[in-house]
Amino acid sequence: MSVQILDRELERLEGLWADGLSDTYHAYLESVGDHEPQAQPKLALAAALIEVGIRLQGLGGRAAAPPTLLMGDLCLARASRLLADTATQAVQVAFAQAIEGLSAAAAAGNPARPVRELLVHAFSATA
Amino acid sequence: MISGRLRFESSRATEFVDLTRRIRDEVQKSGLRTGRVHLQSLHTTLGLAINENEPLLLRDFQHLLERLAPGDAGYEHDDFARRYEIALDEPVNGHAHCRQLLLTGFATLLVEDGKLVLGRWQSVFAVELDGPRHRELAMQLDGDFVEQVEKPDGSQEARLVELELARQLMVDPDPVALPMRRLMEAGGKRLRPKLVQLTSQIGPRHDALRATSLAAAVELLHNATLIHDDYVDESTHRRGQPTVAAAEGAERAIAVGDYYFAKATRLIAEIGNSDVTTTMAEALEAICASQIDDVALRGAFPGDHDSYLRVVRGKTAALFAAACASGALLSDAPPEVVGALKRYGDRLGVAFQMADDMVDFSPSSGKPVGLDIRQRVLSLPLIYAAEDRLVGAEVRRLLAGSLGDKEVGRVAELVTSSDALKRVGDEARGLVDEAVRELESIELDGLRPTLVSLARSAVDRSA
Repeated sequence: MSVQILDRELERLEGLWADGLSDTYHAYLESVGDHEPQAQPKLALAAALIEVGIRLQGLGGRAAAPPTLLMGDLCLARASRLLADTATQAVQVAFAQAIEGLSAAAAAGNPARPVRELLVHAFSATA
Repeated sequence: MISGRLRFESSRATEFVDLTRRIRDEVQKSGLRTGRVHLQSLHTTLGLAINENEPLLLRDFQHLLERLAPGDAGYEHDDFARRYEIALDEPVNGHAHCRQLLLTGFATLLVEDGKLVLGRWQSVFAVELDGPRHRELAMQLDGDFVEQVEKPDGSQEARLVELELARQLMVDPDPVALPMRRLMEAGGKRLRPKLVQLTSQIGPRHDALRATSLAAAVELLHNATLIHDDYVDESTHRRGQPTVAAAEGAERAIAVGDYYFAKATRLIAEIGNSDVTTTMAEALEAICASQIDDVALRGAFPGDHDSYLRVVRGKTAALFAAACASGALLSDAPPEVVGALKRYGDRLGVAFQMADDMVDFSPSSGKPVGLDIRQRVLSLPLIYAAEDRLVGAEVRRLLAGSLGDKEVGRVAELVTSSDALKRVGDEARGLVDEAVRELESIELDGLRPTLVSLARSAVDRSA
């Protein structure tokens, strides 16, 4: 059911769904049980898009080719809009801080905590 | 006489730090009309140079310094056993002192008509020889000054945004803050924050501090997108400076862009107005989707008018429209006002991009002519020239082949000889008229003349 709700949120990203985004989404779906039922699919998708997006970009590794980077950028932007639609202010801030931490570590050439661990933790943020 | 210090952080062992923009800003701020700027390095391993800011040439200079005073030549200065009163952190830097001897530690620059006198290709560099370090130059400005008059033109708000941007960058880690600071200090028109600040005064709930936070976040977001754009477009320079990707590499550019994308979205979320957050998030999504279309369309270069408008609406106009709408939303303006301002921003954004396209064909713009042609960037003058009855066939033939200096020069010549630039100029002015008409039916609390003037000036920039 949740996948149907998300159909329009996957516009231009359909190819990624079969290419790992679906699995990542389902993994996050297990971590959003504390949120409103109608918000859960969008929250899980937002997290999955961030994880897939920064992997596509090559953040913290080798830079992606320009078209792939742009696809990664769109994943992050879509996630940001999903969070704006659905998440509390505290969760939005926590997600942004997670990306700030990951990219600051990448810029400095330092290791970062696993993305999934950071994002799952962000779901539990409260004001 | 005005005295001061220019402070900066170098980020590499040897680095040419371009200070031209900052010195120009100091001259402008001081009100010096005719006179001199004296600069003096306050370090024995920091030199000064005036030369061309071209990345490969800067590498040539670096190699020259390395050949003349190699790092591993063995310097008596580095033989600590023979020296007295050595600090615990004394660096091994005999080579850097010797290299500094080959440069100068002083420079005097002339100022005429309130402007720094520099040749077209001249930039002023501090040459770091033993970085990365915090550095200072002593600076004195002398000559004839004009009295500074406070203008009621939003300059107070502009200063607030600059302070907020500086404050935000100050708390960020150096690996991301330094490249962003260089990009910000290199200039930019700050149109988007200006739109936020103006429109935030329209509704009944004007809060200058929240508006400044939002304006700064919008500018950070804009610059974050530019950093990724420059990597995608393989641009070497922006605002006369090497791009983040050219200077720091693609990996760093991606990380810096991501950091400020995230930081800007966080700052917007922290303002706590869900309509503003959604408006900005939708704009960001439109920008990213249009970037993908833009790159895809390069296969059909130079493209057509409809594709151009579709891409520009997302790539440029979406953030203008969101800036206008979100400022108004922040001030609790009525929905019809928010809607009209959003349409004003959209028309203004498209017109702005058209004017920007025309700059590519202006030799007096300070940018290399034909950069858009070389990079096969979507550009309305090229689309119109390719459709032109007289020159169209030759333009299309040249654009279909490989584009060396000769071909780029010829295409630029054909564009300027056709009526393409006139058509683009007329269309941009028409869009500004449309933007202005959007303001006619709404109550703007006296801000209409400022918004009209801002729209007109955004497209009236031959240089």
